Amino acid sequence: MVLYVVRRLFSSVFVLLASSILVFAMASSVADPLAPLRTRQPPPTPEQMANQAHLLGLDRPWYTRYLTWLGHAVRGDFGNDLGGNPISRSLWEHLSLTLRLIIASMILAVLLAIAVGVLTAVRKNKLSDYVATTVGYMLIALPTFWFATLLKEFGAIQINNLFFGGRQVIFVFGVETPGLKSYGTASQIFWDQVGHMVLPVLSLAALSYAAWSRFQRASMLDVLGSDYIRLARAKGLTYGRVLIRHGLRNALIPLTTVVALGVGGLLGGAVITETVFGWNGMGQYLLDAIKHSDQNILLAWLLVSASFVIAFNLVADLMYAVLDPRIRLS
Amino acid sequence: MTSIQLDPQADVAATTAGTVGGEFTVAARSQRQQIISRFLHNRLALGALLVYATIVIGSFVAPHLYRWGYADLDTTSLSRPPGSPGHPLGTADLGQDLLAELMRGVQRSTLIAFVYIVIALAIGIVVGSVAGYFGGWADSLLMRLVDLILTIPLLVILLVLAAKYAGGGGAVGIAVVLGVLGWLDLARILRSQFLSLREREFVEAAHAMGASNRRIIFKHLIPNSLGQIIVWITLGAAVSVLLEASLSFLGFGVRNDISLGKLVADGVNAADSRPWLFYVPGLVLMVIVMCVNFIGDGVRDAFDPANSRVRA
Repeated sequence: MVLYVVRRLFSSVFVLLASSILVFAMASSVADPLAPLRTRQPPPTPEQMANQAHLLGLDRPWYTRYLTWLGHAVRGDFGNDLGGNPISRSLWEHLSLTLRLIIASMILAVLLAIAVGVLTAVRKNKLSDYVATTVGYMLIALPTFWFATLLKEFGAIQINNLFFGGRQVIFVFGVETPGLKSYGTASQIFWDQVGHMVLPVLSLAALSYAAWSRFQRASMLDVLGSDYIRLARAKGLTYGRVLIRHGLRNALIPLTTVVALGVGGLLGGAVITETVFGWNGMGQYLLDAIKHSDQNILLAWLLVSASFVIAFNLVADLMYAVLDPRIRLS
Repeated sequence: MTSIQLDPQADVAATTAGTVGGEFTVAARSQRQQIISRFLHNRLALGALLVYATIVIGSFVAPHLYRWGYADLDTTSLSRPPGSPGHPLGTADLGQDLLAELMRGVQRSTLIAFVYIVIALAIGIVVGSVAGYFGGWADSLLMRLVDLILTIPLLVILLVLAAKYAGGGGAVGIAVVLGVLGWLDLARILRSQFLSLREREFVEAAHAMGASNRRIIFKHLIPNSLGQIIVWITLGAAVSVLLEASLSFLGFGVRNDISLGKLVADGVNAADSRPWLFYVPGLVLMVIVMCVNFIGDGVRDAFDPANSRVRA
């Protein structure tokens, strides 16, 4: 088991290294730091361009640039963006917002997917199955931003009016009420942020939930049809115990892989959701960097997101080994 | 009452149903006929196919019969809701007729899906078959490459590439960018399919008869993977529309042209003031993607009847 963990760790580090090469290749070919110069009027002379290229270190061969960047990056120094501000700090500010969104969405989506997946598997072909499956199909067919806007239209205003007497509890824009941090109590600030999180988390979780619940339903059906379940029932165990203790434990195993692989999709979805709800997270950071061809921000962003995804895959592999004794013992 | 006699000399492989020598005979059905029959008996999939075909064919044919073109501006009716005279689905803020725009949008999105599928199929079949059939280091290398590309979120790669390489933001440019990244899933699926298929006896027999690798791949392995390929094609059609919509929403999608995704994305800004511009394209998109998903499920069940209770 320990050998398995160590092997997986090494493998992950190697993948991260390879990923950093890919990241560097992508960012340096797409984002041209000299772009703002090229469009300037009057156009700069070739000597000025070469001078600027030399200042930015662009005339060195790509492997030198890559190694320099990598050497700084592993120490957390991502350099400065086009405006001259250090990236590490602003990266962390944006990242913390997005992490909040992604983690909450993932938890919500997983819990809902397991619950609904088990429910529809147990009540297969009954009304609740058809309703849940149809809703799932509809959620998969909708673009995230459309669903998010739908939630904005119907969710916030109606719920605020119906349940809270018109007081604004669920918000449609931003991360928190501006200025509340200076005069609000800790509890007020907390609930304010929760209110701002409700709709974004719901819309980000919706798509993942729909896909995962279908998967969980199929996995559960597979497990419920197997012989050891039949034996457990024949032994006389109650249905609930058989379902949860024997069935669900095994049906959850494939889901861990699917959820871990879904992190990349959640990151992409977060970019869209943040744009809809006006969150100043990684999504906004990335879009600005692309628009301004800011190579340093792109490099930092891509590296961080790749590390995130690789870390999640590692966690999934380890959880898989923990949950499935066949992996541990092989 | 006719008596049924067993006649040992009767031709069992009669090609028409009927009686031969007083005996009932039934035509033998090929595998393809069985698969098609299973699909056609799946009412949900069949209905979805009809709806989808109607929408797509209608989008190509109906503009010739409709009085408004997608670029026509009816300056007398700006931002009219559906049901206004002359505009059954309403108009947008410059007087464009929504129905005409939708038809053009579905046309372009179908084109995007087609180009995307062709490109991704080409790359995916090559990569998947090489990895699955030859195995060994080619397999490891290619699969590691796929895993590597997947460490970066797909939408992010698309954004970065579309921003730089999509040319003027036309429909085909976006489709190319989508296709260049759409083969990853297909390659994985085909690889595992080929890995299991190449151990079968018919491959061994073909090998023994001296068939070249290329012949085995194209004539034996790919036709036997057709089920997976067709399912992937249907899912690819759905995925391409959704991705293109997201790209357009973020500003990096189709820019000079109208596509269904762009209509949905633009409708988001109008959700408060002109709700029909938001709901109608969104519902059309949802219906199309749902139909395509149901068709895909139907194809999957038709190829593997163990999954469903549809009669063959």
